[in-house]
Amino acid sequence: MAFVGPSGAGKTTLLRLLNGTVTASSGTVLVNGQDLGALPVRALRRVRSHVGFVHQDHSLVPNLRVSQNVVAGKLGERGLFAAARSMLFPKRADIDRVYALLERVGIPDKLFERTDTLSGGEQQRVALARALFQDPSALLADEPFASVDRARALDLVELITGVAAERGLTLVVSLHDLDLARMFPRIVGLRAGRTVFDAPSDNVAETELTALFRLADELESELSSADDSARS
Amino acid sequence: MVGVGTSRQRRPFPLGRRGRTILAIVAAGLVAWFALGLSPAQLVPTGGAGIARDFFAAAWRPALDYEGAGVPDGARPFLLKVLDATVRTIVFATAAMSLALPIGLVLGFLASSVGWSGDPATRASRLSRTLARSVQGATRTLIIGMRSVHELLWAVLFLVAFGLNTASAVLAIAIPYTGTLAKVFSEMLDEAPRDSAAGLRATGAAPVQVFLHGILPRALPDMTAYAFYRYECAIRSSAILGFFGYPTLGYYLRASFENLHYREVWTYLYALLILALVLESWSTRLRQRFVA
Repeated sequence: MAFVGPSGAGKTTLLRLLNGTVTASSGTVLVNGQDLGALPVRALRRVRSHVGFVHQDHSLVPNLRVSQNVVAGKLGERGLFAAARSMLFPKRADIDRVYALLERVGIPDKLFERTDTLSGGEQQRVALARALFQDPSALLADEPFASVDRARALDLVELITGVAAERGLTLVVSLHDLDLARMFPRIVGLRAGRTVFDAPSDNVAETELTALFRLADELESELSSADDSARS
Repeated sequence: MVGVGTSRQRRPFPLGRRGRTILAIVAAGLVAWFALGLSPAQLVPTGGAGIARDFFAAAWRPALDYEGAGVPDGARPFLLKVLDATVRTIVFATAAMSLALPIGLVLGFLASSVGWSGDPATRASRLSRTLARSVQGATRTLIIGMRSVHELLWAVLFLVAFGLNTASAVLAIAIPYTGTLAKVFSEMLDEAPRDSAAGLRATGAAPVQVFLHGILPRALPDMTAYAFYRYECAIRSSAILGFFGYPTLGYYLRASFENLHYREVWTYLYALLILALVLESWSTRLRQRFVA
């Protein structure tokens, strides 16, 4: 599914609520029947370790190698020393898995490259590979196509949806591109922290989508003129 | 008179806040100059013009052999002596840094705010917050104490307490350097970008892992460059400790100076300069590996 809405609509906050990196000020967030707000810290981290998150700014460590950034996806499941060893001296099995994932996201040749030497689109693929390395049951992606051009954005949509389908992952993506949102089966429209609509993509009218992005005063004047014309 | 509740109109200072800061710095400098009665005329040699001239003239002709007569038979060649003193200077500095660097790193972590930041999504208990604040405060106080006394003063203290031995010299350098490294490391860690940390936190990593693999690597290039700079300073300090009788460059430099062997003095000074250049080049190459 895709969250769509203008800047400040609450898309990122909602995604962060879903993996427990932000706690709800009211209401409850249930993941596999567990209330994230009521979980102890360790249990919350366990939930996070099973939810892949692709950040808008990639949130990679730029001066580490691609392989190290991908292996970092398993930090949550490893103890302090095992994690440090896997980052500094990764096992052959880890490297093989990282290579397979990089092959799947289309950049196997970047395995030992420094991450900050990669383009924005390539770094987004590394972030995706890191999330997949977690063996997640759900994949959350916050504006994953914001830093790439249109053609690459379409490629990435196909990649993310394809990977999610292959692995049977729940996929939640936040977007502000309406055309890209149409490529997801379900769309949730958000505005000012509230759900405006939640419907299958085919049932969402173009006007509903575009109305989400109008400025508040524009929308109010439109509504008041509609009221006036109804009264007259 | 301005009544209570009315907004007071202030006439803006013509320079603004930044201008006032610069003005304050310049004023502080001028006050210091006037307080000390500094004048460029003080640098004009009075009576010892010949000594100053001889000293600086010797800079062009550093000694490659003993300058004075009366060198005993079988004495080591002069350049070998310089090399030996240089190596000893490096050894003292290295031993001191081998203590200062790891301890400074640990204290820097404990004194930083990021080291205690935990997980923003979960609220730490009052006890753990109090404990964190206490450890951080105690570490910061310890760091201030370590670096507030200069290495030469530590050297004098240890010399009096334990006599002339290598451990005293190493500790005299290591203590203030640990404090300085810890302070600067803690600031570098606190100023490191946090986006990578957020990425790792989302994978379920524990706060210590987030620090080790998300914050530390981002601060590492600057910390490495600074550690090298401190190593260079430690070499200088180690050389200066020679003035107290330790067999480093300063010991021989002092002897040559007292014997008015200025060309030998310059040879020792150039040895220090070469050491600094080698370290600088090493540090630059290592930093490029991290940053470029």
